[in-house]
Amino acid sequence: MRIELTKGVGLTVIPTTQFKTTRIAVHFLAPLAKADVAARTLLTSVLETASRKYPTQSELSAYLEALFGASFGIGVGKEGRMHRVTASMNLLSDQLAQSDLLAQGMAFLKQVLFNPLMVNDRFDEAIFSREQHNLKQYLESLQEDRQTQAALGLQALYFQRDPSQATPSFGTPEGLAKVTAKHLVAVYHQMLTQDRIEIVVLGNVDEAQVQQFAADFDFAPRALAEAALDVEVPVHEVLTDQVNAPVIQAKLNLGYHVDTDYFGPKAYATIVANELFGGSALSKLFTNVREKASLAYYASSSFDQARHLVTVQTGIDAEKQAVVLKLIGEQLNQIQQGDFTDAQLQTMKDGLIANRETAYDAPRFLARVGLLESLWPSQPHTLADYIAGVQAVTREQVMQAAEKFDLQAIYCLQKEVG
Amino acid sequence: MEKHDYPTLGEVLYTQTLTNGLRVLIVPKPDFHETYALFATNYGAIDTSFVPIGETEMVQQPAGIAHFLEHKMFEKADHDAFDLFGETGANANAYTSTTRTAYLFSASRAVDQNLNTLLDFVQDPYFTDKTVNKEKGIIGQEIQMYQDDPGWRLYLGLLGSLYPNHPASVDVTGTIDSIATITPEMLYQARARFYHPSNMTLTVVGPVDPEHVIDLVVANQATKTFPASDSILRGVDWDLDKHSVIAHRELALPVVRPKVMVGIKGQTKIVDDEAGLKQQIATRLLLEALFGDSSPLYQQWYDAGLVDDSFDYGFEAQRTFNFATLGGDADDPTALIDALQQVIAQGVDQPELTPERFERLKHAALGKYAMSLNSMSSIANGISSQSFGAVNLFDYQRLLQNVSFEDVQTAARQLFDPEAVASLIIYPTDGEEA
Repeated sequence: MRIELTKGVGLTVIPTTQFKTTRIAVHFLAPLAKADVAARTLLTSVLETASRKYPTQSELSAYLEALFGASFGIGVGKEGRMHRVTASMNLLSDQLAQSDLLAQGMAFLKQVLFNPLMVNDRFDEAIFSREQHNLKQYLESLQEDRQTQAALGLQALYFQRDPSQATPSFGTPEGLAKVTAKHLVAVYHQMLTQDRIEIVVLGNVDEAQVQQFAADFDFAPRALAEAALDVEVPVHEVLTDQVNAPVIQAKLNLGYHVDTDYFGPKAYATIVANELFGGSALSKLFTNVREKASLAYYASSSFDQARHLVTVQTGIDAEKQAVVLKLIGEQLNQIQQGDFTDAQLQTMKDGLIANRETAYDAPRFLARVGLLESLWPSQPHTLADYIAGVQAVTREQVMQAAEKFDLQAIYCLQKEVG
Repeated sequence: MEKHDYPTLGEVLYTQTLTNGLRVLIVPKPDFHETYALFATNYGAIDTSFVPIGETEMVQQPAGIAHFLEHKMFEKADHDAFDLFGETGANANAYTSTTRTAYLFSASRAVDQNLNTLLDFVQDPYFTDKTVNKEKGIIGQEIQMYQDDPGWRLYLGLLGSLYPNHPASVDVTGTIDSIATITPEMLYQARARFYHPSNMTLTVVGPVDPEHVIDLVVANQATKTFPASDSILRGVDWDLDKHSVIAHRELALPVVRPKVMVGIKGQTKIVDDEAGLKQQIATRLLLEALFGDSSPLYQQWYDAGLVDDSFDYGFEAQRTFNFATLGGDADDPTALIDALQQVIAQGVDQPELTPERFERLKHAALGKYAMSLNSMSSIANGISSQSFGAVNLFDYQRLLQNVSFEDVQTAARQLFDPEAVASLIIYPTDGEEA
């Protein structure tokens, strides 16, 4: 249950004795703006590297070692139309450590977030330029992982008319090049004073005590940005992009617009339809494209609820592209026509439920559910709700959901041909 | 059934070896939903030569056969074992390493049925010319995919320099050419030898009742007959010889940044017993002291732009070989190699290696270890990977506590030999568009 610490600053405590760890996550949420994502990402590197109390990486790491090897990191992501910066820590539980690690972890986070290494309201020059250089190198080398390159390429193509969605949550080399030291400071102050803040703490903890630690952050009140999570792109003509790269195995990725509601009946129908299409290892794509036709090494699909998007990803021989594309279309068509048995449908539901139950064994997932509950308070998020939602989906609803899969983008990464 | 209690970790391990030789290891975790089970054989990519069961002469099989066998175990005359798991909502998978092959499932329901499926499909081979030939296409795709992964090419290339005369350097998947020669007969021969219950272990971690699991496994095994077990004669032998190391090689691939990896070939036998595990722990602490995030040396290199966050290091100890790796992306790969060589040449005399840092790193390692016991998959994989040796995952805490500063110094003396070092650079080729 979310506690409001002050206006725009929330705390969710999830007490559990299931784990050996305590997890702390401090989320900063701001409306997604293409111009800021690279700066916010660079900011995470700069804050992670040094602070006034721990001015070098080795001192900061040494402190974490003293905390029984606690892990700490700051990352970025998207929540629909919001950009998220998350500072998180995993600590050994106070009970196993026989020490007040949670209190020390919270104090550490406060230092790192509020007291970075700054002189006259400027980040350390050497750290700024080195981290900018390193991040640039990292962003440029992402294409060495061809699956990542294809997924980002499809995203850029699908959201061609929505630049903030087209841009990766961590920015681009071009965006990063424009970030100045001054811009970074402005983004930092904006994040601390204007972002919506959600703190999630999970573990064998006392709620009142955690509330006290969280209040010590002393975040100022701010306007609670409405969680504009839903991303709806109007259906348009099919866009295609063929990109050449020196690869042996071609990557063919597709994007479909789907008709969904966040964890409503349409969403559950789409979840099951996607599972049958390419979400499961018993799906149509896996069994018919990969196994039976031996046309792909991998073939799967995934459903992005907030963005009303189903993506298909495959690794294939470049010359088989047309055949694979046709076969993928046929698999979707079969679902639309109801060409699946009741037993298959139940198998898909059982698989979804098992995966969900298993996910509830992971602190990271449970803490994420805590965040989603605070962002979507009107939506049910319990395991029982999910199981009931999946079980209620009928064959007709699956067919209807599949009917609404509109192919919008075809991206292919392949070796240059003749 | 033997019960092993680890009160400081809050863990209990039950073990039993059945009359057919199968060793069963069970960790009950009543608070969790997931049950994770691994059926593993002490057989991997390096085991291409052996004496077949009931024979006397050593045979040589093609590279990649253990992995090929793993893929083919799932397919039966009229069904795919994969589907049997899926039909209950469970996830199944398998993997092959240099020395081990494991089949696994994760389930939140129908655990008994899935345990029987796991035991049955791995113990019931079905290979035909047709199914074997079809698999060559699928694995061919997998081999191609790895060819596009520069990190994998770097790692495998380095192993080639460390072990030019040992199968440790052969890709687990084999090559397109080597798998082309695989026949159903070869698969049956390898399976009969290495999938004997006495060469296998079953690990089950989750909300299970140990007695019930043992009863189920005993009943399952009672329905099957196996030849009497004898000891396995393997062709592969230890390779601890520094003279075969190829000191330096370079490759050109379509990468954005140069990549470098330096390897140190281990020259001492490290086996799966208390001393061996302790030596591994000491070696990993040594590498962390010198190259970890809190190392002043690492800080100096990072500040100078010699390394960045991609820098990583590791130590691997396997049946018949062990080695350390260090490296990452580097603007000046030659300078990084020189810097690493210099550290290695210093042997045990390292400014970063002080008793204070050692104590702090050990304290951190104890915490990280306990934190790693948070998921069914990490516990199950940890238990299974130690299941052919004399120590188990939960002994790690005690061994770590017992590691001394002197043990780390000894590890430095044993590992750091400039003559046992290989380096490999991957430079970018032209023609990659940004």
